Amino acid sequence: MDKPKTILVIEDQDDLRLLIRLTLKQLGRVSAAPDVRQAMALVAADCPDLVVLDVWLGNDLSGLDICRSLKRDPATSAVKVLLLSACGQQSDVEAGLAAGADRYVVKPFSPEVLVGTARELLVG
Amino acid sequence: MPATPKKSEEVRRLQVLKNLNLLDTPPEERFDRITRLASRLFDAPIVLIALMDAKRQWFKSRIGIELTEVERSLSFCDHTIRQDEVFVVEDARLDPRFADNPFVTGEPGVRFYAGYPLETPEGCRVGSLCVIDRAPRRFDEVQRGLMRDVAQIAANEVAHVELNWALQRQRDSEAGMRALLEHIPEGVLMLDVAGTVLWVNPAAERLFLRKAAKLVGRSGHDLLAEDPDKLRAQPGLINLTPYESIGRRGDDSLFPLEFTVNRLLLSGEKRMVAIVRDISQRRANDERNRATDARRRRYFATATHELRTPMASVLGFSELLLKRDFDIATGRELVEIIHRQASRLVDLINQLLDLARIEAGGKDELDFRALAVADLVDQTLAGLSGLGEAHRISVELAPELPALSGDVQKLQQALTNIVSNSIKYSKPDTPITVGAFLAAPGAQPAVGIRVRDAGIGMTPEQQAQIFDAFYRADKGSSVQGSGLGMTIFKEIIDLHGGTVEIRSAPGTGTEITMVLPAIGPFHG
Repeated sequence: MDKPKTILVIEDQDDLRLLIRLTLKQLGRVSAAPDVRQAMALVAADCPDLVVLDVWLGNDLSGLDICRSLKRDPATSAVKVLLLSACGQQSDVEAGLAAGADRYVVKPFSPEVLVGTARELLVG
Repeated sequence: MPATPKKSEEVRRLQVLKNLNLLDTPPEERFDRITRLASRLFDAPIVLIALMDAKRQWFKSRIGIELTEVERSLSFCDHTIRQDEVFVVEDARLDPRFADNPFVTGEPGVRFYAGYPLETPEGCRVGSLCVIDRAPRRFDEVQRGLMRDVAQIAANEVAHVELNWALQRQRDSEAGMRALLEHIPEGVLMLDVAGTVLWVNPAAERLFLRKAAKLVGRSGHDLLAEDPDKLRAQPGLINLTPYESIGRRGDDSLFPLEFTVNRLLLSGEKRMVAIVRDISQRRANDERNRATDARRRRYFATATHELRTPMASVLGFSELLLKRDFDIATGRELVEIIHRQASRLVDLINQLLDLARIEAGGKDELDFRALAVADLVDQTLAGLSGLGEAHRISVELAPELPALSGDVQKLQQALTNIVSNSIKYSKPDTPITVGAFLAAPGAQPAVGIRVRDAGIGMTPEQQAQIFDAFYRADKGSSVQGSGLGMTIFKEIIDLHGGTVEIRSAPGTGTEITMVLPAIGPFHG
């Protein structure tokens, strides 16, 4: 049996953070942070296999910025990034993928679909 | 008898005759003196200067006859105008063409007729000069020669008339063109082929803030803040397609303009005519429309985002509940989240609709009535009951406040949004004060309503954005809100002609004051 996968959820909305944690916990160890500062501390402590990232993080840095910096840093560039956003226009999706995200899932989402997408990223 | 003239020639002849503007005009001495002369010269009792209209013969000058016109088919002159020579009928009674003519058999008893056509310079025979006698006569070559001469004098008078009219028409049309060029709002410049300005209209002077004298002789390129080579390289510039550029005024200021250039040949000289329009206004409108469009798109994108977020909780948690097993306590917790987020969704939709209604309807949507400030405050706080129970809310109303003119429901909504924010963003058991006071006493009467809390407060940056739709100063916090409350509040106060002032500092609290126009003492 492989070492359990680690997933980090960065989502500023409490309810959604809980939803994503509950949804993904079947795939591995899920930690969650409501903002960039806490998230970066978690990344530094234990580099996750997958980051599930909200695009609009309140008054914080944009999820796109975090995605870019994760992919730029050699220490974290292998981390898979799944962007999650309520901005669902074609241009939003393109901007997300251009920032280096591996997948872009639009809110509202089906937990089944989110699990499927996350599993693909963890296996692939 | 000579052939009947072709129809097209007759049409042209009638047009020339009409343009003379002689038909049905009063007698004129310059024609009458010719008929008098002819009467003496030929010792004839009847002399006519006749013009041949389509269906009638009309007399511009007549001697010895009362009629002013006769039917064309009965006229002798209709024969005359088709002749190249003097037309003579020595005895009409013996002439089969005229023997049964009513003017021969009856009054005035024509027996002798001699006539010669009146021809205009363009060769149209518009009428004739004729002499008539009641007795048969001979008409010798000398008389025929005289007849031609006198008719020629009459024809000259007719031509003179035509010349005058032509000159007048020319003057009229020139005056018309000048007036047109002076009054059209577009600048009109005439240039030679090298691009030197030759003439400008007053609108061009106004556009470029230069007198005509300062424009004439200058190169057209001087009037544009655009590289002349680039302009010359424009393909198809000289046609009627508008070209946008930047104009340079006499004071060196610049303005956006649009012009069309067209070539023309004027008295054999090649010229260019430029028509110039100031498009500042159009540009400003375009800019405003673009900004409005961008704002609308942003608003739509944000509204969609804000609707999808609670929807994500509703959809996600309900799917989890349907597909996975949870213990009763957790299940209940998740249903509570669904309920909370669904309620948020409903609030959001209601607020969106409210804002849309207020923005679309404007002042017309409001039901203006006189209302007492005390009632407004009381009803607002009563409506909030439950929400503010944990806070110490006090009311401080100045005595004898004048009445407001406003929409009770909308003002209550506005005040509710403010007070509920104070409740949401301050700790339980901290004070909230709702006060009202007479604003600007002495001047236009106004009432100020002030809500003060000791809550978390806002930074100047947060204050600057507080009225933007969907803006939430504290997004990540657990405090529920659509981000539309303050936007709706501001819209309502604006529609009432009121003003809003915010004083706030992080950690200290927030004080929001709205000042509304009053209508005098309330007697309701």
